[in-house]
Amino acid sequence: MNGYPTVQSTKVGDRLPEMQKSANEAELFLYSAASFNPHRIHYDHAYARHEGHQDTVVHGPLQGSWLTQFVTDWAGPNARLLSVEWQNRASAFVDEEVQFSGTVVALDATEGVVELEIVGQKSDGTILMPAKASVRLAGR
Amino acid sequence: MSSSLIPTESLARVGEVLAGPVTVPIDAREAQRYAYAVGDENPIYFDEKVAQAAGYRTITVPPLFITHALVQPKPSNMLREDGLYEDTTSVHLKVSRMMFGGEEWDFFEPVCVGDAITATTRLADLDQKEGSKGPFVRLVRETTFVNQEEQVVARSRQIGIAR
Repeated sequence: MNGYPTVQSTKVGDRLPEMQKSANEAELFLYSAASFNPHRIHYDHAYARHEGHQDTVVHGPLQGSWLTQFVTDWAGPNARLLSVEWQNRASAFVDEEVQFSGTVVALDATEGVVELEIVGQKSDGTILMPAKASVRLAGR
Repeated sequence: MSSSLIPTESLARVGEVLAGPVTVPIDAREAQRYAYAVGDENPIYFDEKVAQAAGYRTITVPPLFITHALVQPKPSNMLREDGLYEDTTSVHLKVSRMMFGGEEWDFFEPVCVGDAITATTRLADLDQKEGSKGPFVRLVRETTFVNQEEQVVARSRQIGIAR
């Protein structure tokens, strides 16, 4: 598993490679379609403004899937995601870049399980989603 | 609490099944549409050989896909002005706005294409809290996902914030 973390290669304090994500209008539309979500704030700019949003809103669960990808891209295909949680503190809007960063905060060498603390934030530093995850890393 | 945002009859619903049980087959085409839509092109979602080399029975699916796989289609005459469907299971609260507060997930078993997943959603928690911007209600919908072998594959807790 060249390149992917193992229990031996991982230590508390390790930082995950950062990941940038954003969704343009077409990508927001595709997510609405793939998740059968007709909520107008995700594709109708005027309606999103009418509801008090500054622009078309990125779906909270789409940000959740960005988060799981951030973890699974780092951990590799042989690792297993055991848990993930996040809070949606603020909304991301169409075309806005979201940066994910994370740190290993605990490591159980016997079980091969790491705990991660993660944050998704906008380029102006606004915290969108504080998050945690635990992963069982691939074998020795 | 002087002015409760939670009517007594809503509080009495804690523990109640809000949706399901509903069973759906996990379909490659639908799961791959989801993977493309979130921009996650991990080969374990697309290539059986890669998935099997990684220890899966066959192609697996993005972790949060199962929520969306379980969304039940409804006719468009049930759409409200905001584009959402009339929610016949919604819990009555004395609030004007419901926001998506976050989610908590535990994953117990892999979900692969060809599985049949049954989901049941309960009202797990409903309580009023004091925030910096005044009182708000925290509503937790807990969904349990079970596969065709009756293994619990995942559990999600979706947190709604209403004020």
